[in-house]
Parts: sequence; C-alpha cells; structure tokens
Amino acid sequence: MKIENAKAQMRKGVLEYCILLVLDGKPLYASNIIQALKEAKLIVVEGTLYPLLTRLKNAGLLTYRWEESTQGPPRKYYELTDSGRKFLGNLENSWGELVESVATVKNSRA
Amino acid sequence: MKKTFTINISGTIFHIEEDAYEILQKYLVNLKNHFGSGEEGKEIIADIEARIAEIFSEKSSDERMVVTIEMVNEIVEIMGTPEDFAEEEGEEEPVIDEAKRKRRLYRDPEHRVLGGVCGGLSAYFNMDPVILRIIFVVLIFATSSVALLAYIILWIAVPKAINTTQRLEMRGQEATVKNIEKSIKEEVAEVKESYKKFKESDTFSKGKKNVEGAGDVIYNIFKVLLKVIVVIIGVVLIISGFFGLLGFISTLAIGHSFVDGWPLIWSPDIQVPGFFNHFVEPGTVTFGLISIGILVGIPMLAMLFIGTKLVFRYKTNNAAIGLSMVGVWLIALVSLIVVSAGQIGNYKSQSSITVNKTISCDSCQTLYLKLADDKYDDYAELDLDINNFKIMIIDGDEVMIGEPNLDIVKSGSDNFIVSVKKTARGKTREDAKESAEDIIYISELNDSTLIFDPYFLIEENGKWRNQEVDITIKIPEGKAVFLGEDMIKIIYDIDNVSNTWDADMVGKTWEMTSDGLDLKEIEE
Repeated sequence: MKIENAKAQMRKGVLEYCILLVLDGKPLYASNIIQALKEAKLIVVEGTLYPLLTRLKNAGLLTYRWEESTQGPPRKYYELTDSGRKFLGNLENSWGELVESVATVKNSRA
Repeated sequence: MKKTFTINISGTIFHIEEDAYEILQKYLVNLKNHFGSGEEGKEIIADIEARIAEIFSEKSSDERMVVTIEMVNEIVEIMGTPEDFAEEEGEEEPVIDEAKRKRRLYRDPEHRVLGGVCGGLSAYFNMDPVILRIIFVVLIFATSSVALLAYIILWIAVPKAINTTQRLEMRGQEATVKNIEKSIKEEVAEVKESYKKFKESDTFSKGKKNVEGAGDVIYNIFKVLLKVIVVIIGVVLIISGFFGLLGFISTLAIGHSFVDGWPLIWSPDIQVPGFFNHFVEPGTVTFGLISIGILVGIPMLAMLFIGTKLVFRYKTNNAAIGLSMVGVWLIALVSLIVVSAGQIGNYKSQSSITVNKTISCDSCQTLYLKLADDKYDDYAELDLDINNFKIMIIDGDEVMIGEPNLDIVKSGSDNFIVSVKKTARGKTREDAKESAEDIIYISELNDSTLIFDPYFLIEENGKWRNQEVDITIKIPEGKAVFLGEDMIKIIYDIDNVSNTWDADMVGKTWEMTSDGLDLKEIEE
C-alpha cells in the first residue's frame, strides 16, 4: 500500500466536501474555487478540479450560469443547488463525526 | 525569429509560436484521450480550455498576446498532466477506472527497434524488452525465419499504442499467474453471488425473478467457462499454427521437415518440392508450390492470428485482414486448379511398347521363374508409395520405381515366349511412347531359369506418367512352369483350371493343358 494512494484517497473525499463548502453562500467561477483550494493546499494541479466540478454538476449538486466578464470570454459561475445544500449539510455532519472519531481514537491511545 | 500560428482557444484569439503550438496541441490531445470523448469529457476539456485562455490572457499583458513555449510549459505545470491527475486521485481515475482496465496487447512506439512488437509484448508480460528481443533473434535462426514471419504478422495485426488510454492498457493489470488466478476467483465469486441471489429470490419471491436469477447464474458460469475455453483454444491455435507453419515452410524451403515426429495436430510428412518434381516440370512446380504455400499457409496464419487475438485480446480491423486473406487464398486456389488442369493434359494419351522374346530351349520341359534380390530393400528410404509405384532415396538421389505385373497364358507356338509390355501416358501418343521407352526393366535368362527384377525403373528426370510394365509368359501346351516363392510379389491374377489364388500358386510347378494351367503332380 502506497502512502500516496492513502493520502490521495483521504484528500479525495475531503475535496468534494471542500468544493461544496467554498461554494456555500456565494456563486464562484472556476478560478476562484481553484484559488481557495490552492490556498488550502488541497489541490496541486488545476486539471484535477474540472472533472470534479463536472461530476458534481451532473450529480445535480451544482449548477452554473454564464456571466459576462470585463476581460476575456464569459465565465462559468457555479453555485449550489438545493440538493447540493442538503448534501453539504450531510457532509458537514459526517465530517464532524469523523473528526470526533479520530480525536477519540487518538485520545484513548494516549 | 520564430514562426507563429493564430489559434482560437475558447473564443479568444492568440498568436502562438510554432514549437509552443506543438506542445500545446500534444497536451490537449493527451487530455482529450484521458477524459474520453463522451459528453462529460468534452465538457471538462472545454472548461480546461477556457481556463488556459484565461491564464494566457493574464500572462500576455501587452496587446500582441504571443504565446511562447515557456508559457505553454507553465500551463502544463499549472493544469497538470493525466499522470498528475492519477496521482492526486489515487488509484482510481475519475473517468476511466484504471483498476478494472484489462491488459491488451499493443505495439509500443516508444520502445521500438522495428515495429515495437517486442516492446509491446514485453509490456504485456512485464519483462525487459531486451530479453525478449534476444529470445526473438535466437528464434529467427532456430526456426528458419518463421519467427520473423510471426513478427510481421503481429506488426500488421497489432495496433500501435497511440494515446494515453492505450498506453495504460498496454501496461494494464499485470498478467501474472497470480492476477489470472485472482480474476478467475473474482469470476467464481460472481457466480456464487448470483447463485446466492437466486436462492434468496427463490425463498422470497417466486415467479418471474427466479427465471432471471437462474439465467444470471447460468450466464455467469457460462462466462467463466467461456473465458477459460477461449484462452485454451487460443493457445492451442497459436501452438499448432506456429509449428504447422514452421514445418510447412521448412518442408517447402529446405525440402526436409525437422518437426517430424513432434506431437502436433498437423505435421507434414512428405517432402513437397522433391515430390512434385517427379510429376511436373520445374517451372510449374515453383508456381504450384507458391499456390500451395498460400493455400496451406493462410489457414495456418489465420490460426496464429486468431489464436493471438483470443489470448491477448487486441483490437484489429478483422474484416479487412480476413477479407484480404480470403481473397489471396481464393486466388491461390484458382491458380492451383488451373495448373492442375494443365497437368491433366499430360495424361491424355496412352501408348505402349511390347517386346517379345522367344526362349530357344527345345529340350526344356519346365521354365523356372524367379525373382532377383530386392536391391533397394535394405538401404532405400521410402518416400512415397502410390499404386505399386514408389519414390525412393538411394545414395541421396531420388529414384522412381514401379512394380511390374506378371501373367501366364497359353502360347500359340511351341516355344516359351516372354512378352514385356511397357505402357505410359502423355500429352500425345509420341510423348507417351517416349515415356514408355524410358522405362528400364531387366530380366535375365539362365538356361531354363528366368530371373525378374522386382521393380522397373524410370529414367533419371523422367516424370510419372502412370507407367506400367506387364510381363506375359506364354507357355506351350504340354510344358510346365515353376513359380519361385518370391514371385508372389509380381504375379497378378494368373488363370488356372483349379482357380487357385496367386498366393497358393507359388512354390509349385504348373503344367499348361488344353484347358489352361493345371497343378503338376510331382513324380517321386
């Protein structure tokens, strides 16, 4: 078992959660999302994000609209759908539980 | 000075330097192959292109917007290559599930010496291509170039791994024994699973579902069996195709087959070129041999091809290859038929020469018939035996010999007469006569003993024209003939009053009576 794989698997689940999290409340276009995720060191190459966005959109969790840009071509602004918000709520809960579980395991070990 | 192109990325016009263009082009093709050409893949590519356009616009702040190679390299670094995605995503890829991807045979254009066949095979078997190449070169010498032929077939038949997906498939899941075992176990588990489902559905809901469940179980069992059988058939086809071809080509080229006696489905036991030289002219032989080569070779090539396809599961244009093979095969068939038809003309006419010899021995009451020793019996190697006609190898030379037939009838005169009739066929009567004259048959007279050779010979370079030698011994009434034990080899259906079989006639003395031959009682 490779450590890279284990890390990648962990990050993968979190990544979807974080994309929804970033989009919670305000519509953003791809560059903004990338910015936020890069700052959080969740992604290294931008190419990773696009398939995820497409998949989340096809799953009905995200939707997008085109918006004219002052510079360059129109941009795709992504935002959460209702089911996306519900999904995010669920993820928030399970994330909380996960953090708690890990903490419990860690504490009991000490 | 650098040449630039004008390109349109996601609706924005850019000038791009030639070298930069090439890299960007390659990169985008790579991405397209990675994400696939489906609806989803197209959307992803469109998004990525939009992002690339955005970054380019940011970087080239001046109005001219020339994209350089550095900018493209930077883009590749920012966006990442398919390999980077795989790394970030872990084992599972977003679009194409790599774990489930099965290994396929491709030619490896990146590790090639000739066509990349060895490179592809080494990727398939996960071994060093150098080792495979050495084995292969040794095989070429060991198999008198059949391996080379196999290489060329694979070169034509196996597709090149062009895009990332194909390259990943080329390496795919390791085809080790362990993995094969694993996949079979998985299949078996699948079968068990559906059987379980079937049982559950049986206890819970009866009716339609049962049928579906049973169908599932049978389908899965069938699938596993089919896979195993297909691989076995493939391996058998490869082996028999390869060795059949090996034997066939060595037979054609060297005139000697060194796979004789190998436990194979098909192995040649006649030396084709030598064999045909006895029947037809050399020019026709060559033409006929090429036709036969194609006629027999193509089915074996097809066996090899289908076998490798079954085992390695690579994609090819089956219809094109199959049709061209069938086409060439049919042409060969037709030309062989035409050649054969021409040959039949060589047997149209028949002619014979008869030589009568009167034995001047008034005092002889009994003529003794004996057979000379078989000169060929000990050291001659039998090559072919058809209808009393043999091709033998004597001291390295091939000799054609035939067996004469001997009959005994009543003589019209008071003398013993030996009549030797040589018959042959030919295109014309003259040709037939010439062939008949070329027959060599030796018999010897010693006092009252006639010694016959067991065989007649056809002169060197003579062709087989259905030559026959018929010997007729004419016995005057009142005189007798003694048949030596050996004579059984050449006597043929001799009429006698007691209707005795040929085999029972030898070793005895027969007297010619007015009714025919009669067994003469030995007076003690």
